[in-house]
Amino acid sequence: MSWIEKHIDEITQAAQNWLRSDNQSLKKAIDKTVEENLFSFEDIKHQILVLKENVEAGQIKEWTKRSGLSEEKNAKGKKVLCLHAGNLPLVGFQTTLGTILSGADYYGKLSRKDPYMLASFLEEVKNSGLDLHAEYSTDLNQFKNLKADKVAFAGSTESVQKVREEIKRLKAAKADADYIIRTAKFSIAYIEDQSSETMEDLVEAAFRYGGKGCRSVALVVTKFPLDSTKCGFTDYIEFFWMKNPQHKKPKPNLKYQFAYNKAIGRSQAWLDDFLIQETDEFPETDFTLNWVMGDEKKVRELKEKFGDVIQAVYTTKKIEGIKTDLLSQAQRPPLWWKPDGVDTIISMLD
Amino acid sequence: MISPSQIFDSSLSFEEKALHIYKLQKAHNPIYKKFCETLETQEIKLVSEIPLLPISGFKDVEIITALDKSSINNFKSTLKFQSSGTSGMKRSKHYVPDRDIYRQSIIRGMQQFYNLEEYVIWAYTPGYQENPNSSLIWMLNTLIEREDSGMSRFLDLGVPLDKKKMSEIKESEKKLMLFGAAFGLLDILEQQETHLPKDSVIMETGGMKTHRREMTRQQLHEKLTEGFGIPKTQIHSEYGMAELLSQAYSLGDEWFQCVPWMQVSIRNPDNPMEELPAGEEGLIGIIDLANIYSCAFILTGDKGIQDEAGKFQVLGRWNPQNLRGCNFLIDQD
Repeated sequence: MSWIEKHIDEITQAAQNWLRSDNQSLKKAIDKTVEENLFSFEDIKHQILVLKENVEAGQIKEWTKRSGLSEEKNAKGKKVLCLHAGNLPLVGFQTTLGTILSGADYYGKLSRKDPYMLASFLEEVKNSGLDLHAEYSTDLNQFKNLKADKVAFAGSTESVQKVREEIKRLKAAKADADYIIRTAKFSIAYIEDQSSETMEDLVEAAFRYGGKGCRSVALVVTKFPLDSTKCGFTDYIEFFWMKNPQHKKPKPNLKYQFAYNKAIGRSQAWLDDFLIQETDEFPETDFTLNWVMGDEKKVRELKEKFGDVIQAVYTTKKIEGIKTDLLSQAQRPPLWWKPDGVDTIISMLD
Repeated sequence: MISPSQIFDSSLSFEEKALHIYKLQKAHNPIYKKFCETLETQEIKLVSEIPLLPISGFKDVEIITALDKSSINNFKSTLKFQSSGTSGMKRSKHYVPDRDIYRQSIIRGMQQFYNLEEYVIWAYTPGYQENPNSSLIWMLNTLIEREDSGMSRFLDLGVPLDKKKMSEIKESEKKLMLFGAAFGLLDILEQQETHLPKDSVIMETGGMKTHRREMTRQQLHEKLTEGFGIPKTQIHSEYGMAELLSQAYSLGDEWFQCVPWMQVSIRNPDNPMEELPAGEEGLIGIIDLANIYSCAFILTGDKGIQDEAGKFQVLGRWNPQNLRGCNFLIDQD
């Protein structure tokens, strides 16, 4: 067995062990996360179940195949510093897995908002006796003088500069280090029918994790006006919330937006903790879903208008000329999903 | 009820006038009325409690305060300002039924900071004929028409400044005030080396971001200082927009000061009803009493910071892209 084959098998085994239902370390990490009110149990459970399904389906091996990882083509010897955001549970898992699969040495700045679960995975990896280096901390200062070859993180125009300055100050990365910066912020859905399957998928895509994360739908394009759809649609939302209560509550600016919409006569649905509004503008307030009347042409127009901040366009069937993903997969991505359209393993190899 | 002429009356306090205008607009501006009602605002006793309408209202609908319905149509046939923008872009509309309010706001406002009689006004901007709906051009036209030496004017774009005419201004013992957008002023310098008379004032009117270049206000002012050969203290800025009938001015530094009938506060983006303390960044909120016929209480989309004395800095546009997606933030993650 070659080094790479052994490496992939060992990581797969470690992931399977970590995801076992009797894994006390993961259970403890989940309990602490819930106790400290960082995320809801339902959102964590959803995330873990999706990962488990993917790992059991052999997606780790499949991902390495797709990315062309081999004995000759890997990132062995490279130091990769990953800065994980904490807006949804285990949001950094895919980057972590991709980094260690590539063979690179992993250095993870874990989020203070999600410090336990990824750490429990990394402990599992370390305890498996794998031939790789994995270090983590919630304190960026721990990576002083690391001089990493690559730095991976998600950012916006404003945050990127601050992060770069801090890394430079700490010498956490080499001066000529490669920065893998993800800028996608939200996804679009295009729906053509109001079947219960489509409505349920749309609700899951837009309301899971309180709408946070770039895979979540913040803007839906449809030929159905909001006013004639909202009664039926909110029934699906209420049903979803019965099983998945929304963890975080909106700030008063949501009520402000509601008042503004009402004043200007914009169609909307006020759900106390969420606002659906008929507008094709940039979805700039948290806990909002923008409802846009339109067809495939409108989807293309919005994709062009918002550019790189769009992670994906979800549909129930293909749209010519646009890469689309299945709406039902919005919150159930395969391990090899591409943040910003870039394969995480491949980005480690360059 | 307050009358338009009382807006500039210094014998009445700002608070008194603002609360009167709030009552007027809540009663006679249907958009603002509905906005306040939906927010369920109780009886307002302090100016800081007055809700600020998001500035996008001027793009989305017509913001009009009129005592009766029949005057609304008259409003629309009067002066209308529009924000700049490319074709296809939604632009703000601001109806100005009483142009004398704007005229007074411009002149009285500038007189707070300058002895206007000393200045010749040059505007390196498009002319009034081509831009009758620009509030900035209207302002410049007002200043140019008011100045009686005959030397004030709109300059031809793309043509270097006329040295002979600058000498004439100097000889007349007047000073030059050169208005221009950031990129326009840089264009002048790119055309040829241009040193202004030493006592000139440059009034930069915004336009920091263009397709061609992007720089901080400080960097821009340094370039202008060097290029035009005048001290940095004479590089001033004006903060105004189509949705406002009053302006704030910075006189050689980064800090803007309001005219007496305008007030700025910094609002918490998570809760725009809350004023932030000095030194904290937030959204710029403006009360402009000259907006008596539209809406005087406005929440802009600009990011700003204020000092203890009420002066403020404009730090660019508020960036909503920090929301929603994954975004690693040094101080939070």
